[in-house]
Amino acid sequence: MAAAESPSAALRRRDLCSRGIRLAGKMRADVVDLLDAYVEQQGLDASASVAAMEGVPLAAVERWDEQTGTQRLLENLAAYRAFRALLAQMLEEQREQLGEADAGLGRALAAVLLQVSAFAYHLEELLRLESRGIPGEEEEDGPPPPPRLSLFEQKLRGLGVLRELAQWAVRSVRDLRQLAKPSPATGTAPGLAESP
Amino acid sequence: MFSRWNWVACGFYLVLNICSPDASGGLVQSCGHIIPESPVLALGSNFTALCILNESCLDFGNIYASQIIWKIKNRVVPKEQYHEINRTVSSVTFNDTSSLATPLTCNILADGQIEQNIYGITVTVGLAPEKPKNLSCIVHQVSRFTYVMTCTWNPGRHTFLDTQFRLRYRWPEEIFPDCIPKDVNNSCTTTDIQFFVNTEIWVEATNALGKAKSDPLVVDPIDIVKPLSPQNVSVNPELLPTILKLSWENWISDAVMTLKFNIRYRIVGDKNWMEVPSEDTASPRTSFSVQGLRPYTKYVFSIRCMKKDGVGYWSDWSEEKAGITTEDQPSKGPPIWRIIDKSHSPAYWTVHLIWKALKPFEANGVILQYEVTVRDKSSLSTPVKKYNVTSTNHTLQLPEGTYEVTLIARNSVGASPPSVLLIPASNSKAPVKNLRTLPKHDKLWVGWTAPNNYVLKYVIEWCLVSSSSDCIIEWQIALGDVQGVELKGIKPFKCYLITVYPLYADGQGSGQSVKAYLKQDRPSKGPTVQTKKVGKAEAVLTWNHLTVEEQNGFIRNYTILYKTIDGNETVVTVDPSKTEYTLSSLTSDTLYTVRMMASTDNGSRTGPDFTFTTQKFGKGEIEAIVVPVCLAFLLIVLLGVLFCFNKRDLIKKHIWPIVPDPSKSNIAQWSPQVPAKHNFNSKDQMYPEGSFTDVSVVEIEADDKKSFSEQDLKPFDLLKKEKSTSEGHSSGIGGSSCMSSPRQSVSDSDEGETTQNTSSTVQYSTVVLNGYRDQTPVQVFSRSESTQPLLDSEERPEDHAGGADSPAQRQQYFRQNGGQDEINTDRPRFERTKQITHADEGDLVGFVQLQISGQSSQPLGLGMEKNTQEAALSNVLQTCTEGQTVRPETVEENPLSVDEMPKSYLPQTVRQGGYMPQ
Repeated sequence: MAAAESPSAALRRRDLCSRGIRLAGKMRADVVDLLDAYVEQQGLDASASVAAMEGVPLAAVERWDEQTGTQRLLENLAAYRAFRALLAQMLEEQREQLGEADAGLGRALAAVLLQVSAFAYHLEELLRLESRGIPGEEEEDGPPPPPRLSLFEQKLRGLGVLRELAQWAVRSVRDLRQLAKPSPATGTAPGLAESP
Repeated sequence: MFSRWNWVACGFYLVLNICSPDASGGLVQSCGHIIPESPVLALGSNFTALCILNESCLDFGNIYASQIIWKIKNRVVPKEQYHEINRTVSSVTFNDTSSLATPLTCNILADGQIEQNIYGITVTVGLAPEKPKNLSCIVHQVSRFTYVMTCTWNPGRHTFLDTQFRLRYRWPEEIFPDCIPKDVNNSCTTTDIQFFVNTEIWVEATNALGKAKSDPLVVDPIDIVKPLSPQNVSVNPELLPTILKLSWENWISDAVMTLKFNIRYRIVGDKNWMEVPSEDTASPRTSFSVQGLRPYTKYVFSIRCMKKDGVGYWSDWSEEKAGITTEDQPSKGPPIWRIIDKSHSPAYWTVHLIWKALKPFEANGVILQYEVTVRDKSSLSTPVKKYNVTSTNHTLQLPEGTYEVTLIARNSVGASPPSVLLIPASNSKAPVKNLRTLPKHDKLWVGWTAPNNYVLKYVIEWCLVSSSSDCIIEWQIALGDVQGVELKGIKPFKCYLITVYPLYADGQGSGQSVKAYLKQDRPSKGPTVQTKKVGKAEAVLTWNHLTVEEQNGFIRNYTILYKTIDGNETVVTVDPSKTEYTLSSLTSDTLYTVRMMASTDNGSRTGPDFTFTTQKFGKGEIEAIVVPVCLAFLLIVLLGVLFCFNKRDLIKKHIWPIVPDPSKSNIAQWSPQVPAKHNFNSKDQMYPEGSFTDVSVVEIEADDKKSFSEQDLKPFDLLKKEKSTSEGHSSGIGGSSCMSSPRQSVSDSDEGETTQNTSSTVQYSTVVLNGYRDQTPVQVFSRSESTQPLLDSEERPEDHAGGADSPAQRQQYFRQNGGQDEINTDRPRFERTKQITHADEGDLVGFVQLQISGQSSQPLGLGMEKNTQEAALSNVLQTCTEGQTVRPETVEENPLSVDEMPKSYLPQTVRQGGYMPQ
């Protein structure tokens, strides 16, 4: 975090944090709703446990409170970029499987995808305010596409993605609250009381 | 000739050039073209077009640019706008494209006459789009998870061209699909909304002449949300009677936005809303307890919400939900009043206690019953009487006195404070003063000046005055510190009787009344006027007052309008209390039309016309004419009678002059050769048998008995002559009077007939008026005073024969008095007869009664032989001489003795200048 921050930058950061927190909260609520719809639509058991899958970022982290703000932002940005790709793949698979039969689920997936994109944008803006370079996306030279999964495996993976996204939403809120706390050096306004 | 063929060939070539396919395969190859091809031009700009001719046409047809004619539609463009650039190119310039129209054509005038079209273009004129302005967006929540964003803008001026608008929005790293409006150019709705990200929104307008872009609107859609109103609102009562709890569901999650609320409520039936203070509902919640409500009152609630920070829009108000607070005990006692009926017995009152039901906010529940307590204040020993009543009135029979009535209303929770009414023995306290009314909108204000004493409260009674029904009293109570109330429920155009009673702590003041209208109108009908009495110059009009229902206001005056058929109308204003008026100074014997108008403050109404005709004569005028005329007539008659009476001698002398008695005449002595000729035949003719019409009785006053001279009675002598020789001395005299019948009278005017009808007339006129032998006739009648019988020569036999010649006539005369026949059977008495003469003894059948009143009323009878049918009454005398009544009486057959008969005639008219004895 920059030691000296202009008032406008501080306001901008605070505004971004505030919106990010609320966006993460709404995203979590929408993902939870989407999970219910997805489980029902895909014929899955809501209580089914899904093992960790490759490519899905995990929200759990050790020594969370020891992380710096930049570290938090970077981890969040990486995770949401991954989720953006995973959700885009899920949306494509969904359209392939159901076509236009269940437009509601597709629209909900698209909405969550947009929120993930928006949150990633918030993180990028915060990183810019931190005067940190924004890491490039690894799409061009990223990992090879995952092997072709069966339909059931696709459904389970989708379930795992949504569950993990919900967890990430909660973590992101906490991260942004940490970031929103006033820096003793800058003496900015007290942190927001908003909670998702 | 050559030139002509040349132009024909040229035209043919042009046609071929236009119509024949060119070498490249096209169907048309014209002789030229226009550039630019179908331009879109800005309105008001200048424009230049070029028409370029093909070289091939030039070579063959001698067509040059100088021959080009430009046309707009069918209108030739002025040559001043042309410019020949070279032999194949001609330009036309328009300084203002607004003068352009479609199509713009380039034409050739071949051979100076034939105009041939070369090419044409379509020109489109319009405007470039303006920059869209006033862009604004709102996000509507359409369901629990669905939001749509609608943006509106001002598209600017009309461009006359096809202009596309599109709403664009983006994140810095994400561009969303454009929103293209359908059918409109100033709004668009999109569903791609993401909250908590600032979104740049703008509008682009594009047409053939350009493109315009609005100023961008950067907004987080969450800040322009209009949420759905709270759903499933419910209202539930709480334990306290002044609280209702309002509950609802929010359809927008806290994850999206936290809300604040606005709660409004009103009493059912009331249009005014009340609001819960906004600071009480500024936090997220799903319920709220509204306090300070009225007990047992139905309230309606509604709620709305918006983002807590106030950025965004309020939702619509939720559906209205009603709830009722619980009951509480009545807050006050019912207003109570009484109506006392003393008509049955002065000592015993019928007291109608009446009270008003408490208003809902006073009753605080359902009133179950009223408790009435009556205490006789004049007698402390009388026990208090209590009544439980469920209605709002109660009737008591009470002896005259002072009472205190207490009323309590009770509901399921408790009782009201008591209402106390004092009923004094008499309303002897001071009344209110200066009672007045004033309409205020739809209410009637009643004001008064308070009495000097402290007034506890006032009772205002009012009732609708009606001519057909009783006055139904309404009332209300006002506090003692007010001096006016507004009466509700007052109908316009109706008369109300308003009475105000002041109530004191120790009694009641007498009531003061006033009549009032809320609004007045003109009467619904006019008075019907009619005449009560019509005279020569005046007429008494009468009418009935309009009923109170017809008046519609206070009748300020009546107006009488009357006129003749062709005269001006006369207007008379009459006091409204009157029902009669006398029109004066009318014209006699004239038809008048009268009508009557009743007026209030707001207009008048005229009644039906009534016509009457004045009389020709006034009262007493006829009497004034008739009575004097009658009196004058009577006076004249009286004067005439008096004159006749005074001049009776003169009249008598003229009518039947005094005839001297021939028997006493000296003529017989000195001229016996010429006896007086008595035409007794005339007597027969005068009284022919059967022509006897009447029997007269001549009454002669005692004093005037001598007025019947012998001459007068001579005809009787003649009748009697042959029966009594002693009577033969008397000479006949025609008895007559001024009233006798012509047959009986002696008339000089009938000289031609007197010789046949009246013997006396003939003989007297002969005797008196003719002089004897050159002697001057003496103008006095002479009568012989001889008592000797007449000479035989005087009694000519023909006279008797004549008298007997007409028995039939006499008989006829007698029969006409057939009623007398039987009377003649009686033997008439004869008392005092001056002279009765039998004209013919054998013929005399009739009788004559002569009665001299004053001496004796015994009839003077003249008996006749009844065995002859030819008897006839020779003469009937009737005199109207004053004091005398002469009537014939029955003459007895027995002749009177000589002693009883007068020896001679005495002059009877000496006093009147008659004859003197000679």
